[in-house]
Amino acid sequence: MLNIKNLKVGLAEEDKQILNGVDLNIGEGEVHAIMGPNGSGKSTTSYVLAGKDGYNVTAGSAELNGENLLDMDPEERAAAGLFLAFQYPVEIPGVGNMTFLRTAVNAQRKARGEKELTAGEFLKIVREKAKSLKIDAEMLKRPVNVGFSGGEKKRNEILQMAMLEPKMCVLDETDSGLDVDAMKLVAEGVNALRDGKRSFLVITHYQRLLDHIKPDVVHIMANGKIIKTGGPELALEVEQNGYADILAEVA
Amino acid sequence: MNSLIGKNEISDTLADFFIQPNGATWANNIRSEALVAFNDFGVPTKRDEYWKYTNPQKLTMIPTEPAALFSNDEPPMFESIDRVKIVFVDGILDLSQSDDLILEGATIETLVDATSKDIHWAKDLFGSLEKNGQKPVKRPLAALNTAMAAEGLVIRITDKCKKPLAIRYIHNSETSDALVHNIIKIESNAQFTLLESGAGAARFNSVLEVDVADNADFHHVRTQGRDHERKTVTHIFGRLGKESIFKSFTMTVNGTLTRNDAVLEFTGDNARATVAGATAGDGESFHHDDTVFITHDAVNCESRQVFKKVLRNGATGVFQGKILVKADAQKTDGYQISQGLLLDDNSNFLAKPELEIYADDVACSHGSTVGAIDEDAIFYLVSRGVPRKQAQDMLVLAFLAEAIDEIDSNDLADDINDRLAAWMNRR
Amino acid sequence: MTDMIAKDGVEAETVEAVKSLSGKYKYGFSTDVEIEYAPLGLSEDIVRLISEKNDEPEWMLEWRLQAFERWKQMKEPDWAMVDYPKIDFQDIYYYARPKSMSEDKPKSLDEVDPKLLETYEKLGIPLKEQALLAGVEVPDGDRKVAVDAVFDSVSVGTTFQKELKNAGVIFMSISEALKEHPDLVKKYIGSVVPQSDNFYATLNSAVFSDGSFVYIPEGVKCPMELSTYFRINAENTGQFERTLIIAEKGSSVSYLEGCTAPQRDVAQLHAAVVELVIQEDAEIKYSTVQNWYPGDENGKGGIYNFVTKRADCRGDRAKVMWTQVETGSAVTWKYPSCILRGNESQGEFYSIAIANNMQQADTGTKMIHLGKNTKSRIVSKGISAGKAQNTYRGLVSMHPKAENARNYTQCDSLLIGDKCGAHTVPYIEVKNNTARVEHEATTSKVDDDQLFYCRQRGMDEEEAVALVVNGFCKEVLQALPMEFAMEAQALVAISLEGSVG
Repeated sequence: MLNIKNLKVGLAEEDKQILNGVDLNIGEGEVHAIMGPNGSGKSTTSYVLAGKDGYNVTAGSAELNGENLLDMDPEERAAAGLFLAFQYPVEIPGVGNMTFLRTAVNAQRKARGEKELTAGEFLKIVREKAKSLKIDAEMLKRPVNVGFSGGEKKRNEILQMAMLEPKMCVLDETDSGLDVDAMKLVAEGVNALRDGKRSFLVITHYQRLLDHIKPDVVHIMANGKIIKTGGPELALEVEQNGYADILAEVA
Repeated sequence: MNSLIGKNEISDTLADFFIQPNGATWANNIRSEALVAFNDFGVPTKRDEYWKYTNPQKLTMIPTEPAALFSNDEPPMFESIDRVKIVFVDGILDLSQSDDLILEGATIETLVDATSKDIHWAKDLFGSLEKNGQKPVKRPLAALNTAMAAEGLVIRITDKCKKPLAIRYIHNSETSDALVHNIIKIESNAQFTLLESGAGAARFNSVLEVDVADNADFHHVRTQGRDHERKTVTHIFGRLGKESIFKSFTMTVNGTLTRNDAVLEFTGDNARATVAGATAGDGESFHHDDTVFITHDAVNCESRQVFKKVLRNGATGVFQGKILVKADAQKTDGYQISQGLLLDDNSNFLAKPELEIYADDVACSHGSTVGAIDEDAIFYLVSRGVPRKQAQDMLVLAFLAEAIDEIDSNDLADDINDRLAAWMNRR
Repeated sequence: MTDMIAKDGVEAETVEAVKSLSGKYKYGFSTDVEIEYAPLGLSEDIVRLISEKNDEPEWMLEWRLQAFERWKQMKEPDWAMVDYPKIDFQDIYYYARPKSMSEDKPKSLDEVDPKLLETYEKLGIPLKEQALLAGVEVPDGDRKVAVDAVFDSVSVGTTFQKELKNAGVIFMSISEALKEHPDLVKKYIGSVVPQSDNFYATLNSAVFSDGSFVYIPEGVKCPMELSTYFRINAENTGQFERTLIIAEKGSSVSYLEGCTAPQRDVAQLHAAVVELVIQEDAEIKYSTVQNWYPGDENGKGGIYNFVTKRADCRGDRAKVMWTQVETGSAVTWKYPSCILRGNESQGEFYSIAIANNMQQADTGTKMIHLGKNTKSRIVSKGISAGKAQNTYRGLVSMHPKAENARNYTQCDSLLIGDKCGAHTVPYIEVKNNTARVEHEATTSKVDDDQLFYCRQRGMDEEEAVALVVNGFCKEVLQALPMEFAMEAQALVAISLEGSVG
């Protein structure tokens, strides 16, 4: 599904290297987690995959089902099936959540040569999916993320994910700022989308999210590189001993 | 040396009223050029857009209206601050009342001395920022000042000065009509604090040109004297090099007419400037005008304009502020707030807060509010046992505090606060 | 180096995306009909000729001539932040009408030259009474809009006359009103915008050729929306229309105005005057979608739109609401104002001004608070793109007797691309301490994070910009009547086809 090879990335505006050769292979239907201390390059990885401005790819490649992601505009990557659940979902004043969602869904359908959804069809689907995430009609009417609580924002991200039905989901610190109940709700939303085909990359600082979204593979990232890869037990090790031991072990 | 004393006969033009000082050729050339500019601009009138809210007539009439001397009932400003003190009386330097012109990190000369030397660094600064500041808005009274002012200080800062320089302008003659022109050059990495206080003269026209080099700091705190009948027009022209800091604060209470122009230009990246003012005006004869023009011509600079005016018994407060962001001045952060607090229904607040922006990656904002004192807040305080008058004073001081907060030094800010608190009770 | 190019590329795309917002001018076609012109230029004779063509009473001619005398002594204002070549007022036709609209004037819309009717059809303006404005979904099935269609210097016709008459509402062209209700016109014309108000208003007073007249009698709620659709078709011709709306005690009306013009290389002048008189407890809602031809990317051609609009809230609790969406014109100079004379009267101004390519807009409002407890609200959204200059200019004045008056102003500017300018010039004058004024203004560029978020969800840059700009303008769009909100949204090029509520 997602193949990243020796990805090296620096900041566009200053001379600073952030990713120093990341290698990552995620197969169809797999759930991978990346853990790591602050500043290790986790979020940068997600932004570079999604095509955010301000980064310079100096080496390596990233492919989604064989297609070179790095050559594409952000919307092309989205249409190709890449979805990023933002750590800090952006507020867009004045734009209704529904309008936003429908524009996004139809833009992607159009890009893929599919028929656009009518208002009625769209409404039916969105209501259904919103319900399971406990997103009420009122929240759908409000401007995108404006005045949403931390939990509401993250649930809204998952709703978008559910609506857009991507192939590859990248979740950037989706657990940050959530209490236990909210995290459970979000995790249930994610788990509902696990269908054996869709792949996930869960970026997190803490192990607790992985109690709810069980990963197949866990990677530890530090200084812009994957320094260790293992099974779910690796996350537990981090939870108990922190990153220091692993860092020391690799160094 | 009587260049500041006006001719006895009433002349047709304001310029004829003064005598152009005679100095070295370079200085004479600069003054003559300024005079040509002044004659070209003509005296300002209330028809000019930038005098829309302030009638400049009292600043341009010949001779000036006399101003009664004010018997000061409080000690001079900044007495408690360790400083080098210099005194001007009716616009003329009085060495007998001044400290020696010695400040570590600085060279201080009189304008008379500097402009009589054949070779002097001030040649490149004297009148140049003023001239630059004539675009796009004409400031005729500043040109007049450059042309005719004989008195003032020429200061060069080469290091971080430990002490501030405090200039006290004493008003001692009911008919004095003074022009003072100060020039300050702050070299790279140097720091300087200038304190100014006093009414200066019956009519006082002051120009301050400040060139702040890269990484240099300039701090300026000014109080304009409580003489009720004084007329004042001041211009500050500042040029900011990269990563420099420029902070100017002015407290104005009383006076018949005060017009303070501040014209700043960012020429180096990453610099910061603040122009702030706290004004307390009382009575129909009080008219106070702050006019600020900040030009961003460099990247990533921050400017703040913070002006607060409390007005009562028919007083008028004016604010005209502008942020101009040129096309290449990306990442500009421009902020401007002007607020009027009207304590009774005769007072006026007039404002024109402008933004003119040609760069896209900017965050500029301005806010302006006018209103009466918050009666709910008064009630809250009164219900806690605070007498009404005191409650009102507290709220007025709290209102002015946002401007005073712009002063970096706590000692100076405390001094200003005390004066304003005292003003509440006696004008 | 490659980064630089990449970055520029993105910005260029952004600019490109916005170009499509207001760049493609859909209404640039011209109608091929035989036109009758007055001789070129302006003189007393031309003023007399216009008056004669309209068959006006003598006093109207006198009034026009008086204005013309004054105008000759006036100077063109130069304080606005707009820059355009000097207008040669002798090189303009001041009167042009389709030949078919002359002597044997059609008596009803059915007799109007089909080519003219076709023009409006093409513009989406229904001149058939059963039709509604194109693209409007009507919830309860019977919303009606009466239209007065002004083509160059004359009114082509006004729909729903009969139905309006039954309600007591007068809605007709001002040339007809001068014949049928001369006393009403005489009483109110020039009473809000005096003859000598300003250069362009005075010019209009001398040469206005047509426009709309609305009279809502006491207590009447106008049973339908009224609208005037202005079309400049003839080349090298100025359009000078005059609109006069009177809302008597306790009445109310919602009035819409739309404007388009063909794509022509030579700039054309449009100098209108709109006067609103609002009596006690009456209410006028006046909405404009101004989409005159803006000129091409290089600033060639386009309409010079110099308009004076003013509402006089004469009675207590009178209410006026100006809403404008200004997307067209090469140069716009327009400040719809409110004189809040009556106690507790209210004025509102909602504005979207989009300036793209070489367009220049200097627009805003004046809120003159004279009465007690008067209230005003200003919401202005300016969007600059291309090499355009966009200025908000406004005045809020609280007079000494305006006790407890309130104003709130929010004035936001959005910059798209680094070649354009956004400027804010507010004047605030407060002479009463019980009055309260709050003014806020911000200027910023389109938020990159918002655009990235939208694009990550699959929208292309154009859609993303359109969506974000739509959000930025929301508050103003909501103030428009439904009939216009749709058109405005399309104009701001933001809405999605067949949008979700």
